[in-house]
Amino acid sequence: MPLVSALAASHAPNILLEPGDEWEDFMRLHYTMAPKGVDSKPTLEQQRTLRHDAERAFAVLRSDLEAARPDVLIVVANDQFVNFFFNVIPTFFITLADEVKGQFTRHSFHYKNHKDLGRAILRAGLDEGIDFAFGEYVELQHTQTVPLYFLLPKPEIPILPVYVNTWVDPVPTPRRCYQVGQLIREVASARPERVAILATGGLSHFPGSSRIGEIDTKFDHQLLEILRVGKAPTLADYTLDQLLQAGDSEFLNWMVVLGTIGEAKASSTFYMPDFVATGWGFVSWRI
Amino acid sequence: MSSYHLNRFLFDLKMNQSVLKRASADLQSVMNEYDLTAEETEALKSGDPRRLRPLGAHGMVSLYILRLNPAFRDNVYWAQK
Repeated sequence: MPLVSALAASHAPNILLEPGDEWEDFMRLHYTMAPKGVDSKPTLEQQRTLRHDAERAFAVLRSDLEAARPDVLIVVANDQFVNFFFNVIPTFFITLADEVKGQFTRHSFHYKNHKDLGRAILRAGLDEGIDFAFGEYVELQHTQTVPLYFLLPKPEIPILPVYVNTWVDPVPTPRRCYQVGQLIREVASARPERVAILATGGLSHFPGSSRIGEIDTKFDHQLLEILRVGKAPTLADYTLDQLLQAGDSEFLNWMVVLGTIGEAKASSTFYMPDFVATGWGFVSWRI
Repeated sequence: MSSYHLNRFLFDLKMNQSVLKRASADLQSVMNEYDLTAEETEALKSGDPRRLRPLGAHGMVSLYILRLNPAFRDNVYWAQK
């Protein structure tokens, strides 16, 4: 059955932290790396507005997701040294666990994992020239749990975590990520389940870089405009440098979803820079 | 030169409670368990993440040294992954 819903959403931890004490505490660490960020730090009122706007965006995405009545949600995200480290960094990884769990501050997450769909994607990839890594245990982290808190708060359907290395150089090209998405679309079409897909991360931010604290809002707006007019395939022609110089390495996760939707126009887009670190972006494609 | 051991030590500070506990009590003895250069050891002892990055620590992993800093020990950052 063709894919029933496609979504993309930022996973910045401060989206889910409570405005006020939690935000401030978290940001104290951030400012040790980005001292300039102190100058632009949002007031409590601005933090609350950001949270409110993010909740509004997530409400639209969640409504679209629920209307599509999916049987499974593929979650394309990057690992940030929770499951993979410099001893082994898979470029693309499929989760073959029975279930997946994670913790974010006081929030616990526990989902069934759709191992059968994972195996089908893995097999199709091996047959067609995309050799995924795979494994039977992963721990969920903020790159998945932050959007899932808003989009799938109850584990009513299984998920399938798929990982893209956007975190440790060298990372895959936008075109390769797009091809992974095309493969997933083909596999979904041949499956009996109603498959939805979510990409997480971005938009512009520079974690761990000397540019931490900068947000390239102009580039992010360009990306979202391209998605609104249905030109996502043109982004496969972007070079890695184009994405990386704008702090959009995690847009590689989004590229996978773009490979599943092709020229479909985004039905809703939202964008809100958080002043200090990240351009929060949220997109839904009603299919 | 590889920075694997430097990154490994920092990673373990975040992910391994036993390493964190022992390093909080005696940083030098835990560092001795890793294959670190004198320069890396000095930078770790300084507690400044900005000194670790030029030595090859991943930008985000370098932040983990702050877990040994009393001002950040109970930061909400460590309550999420």
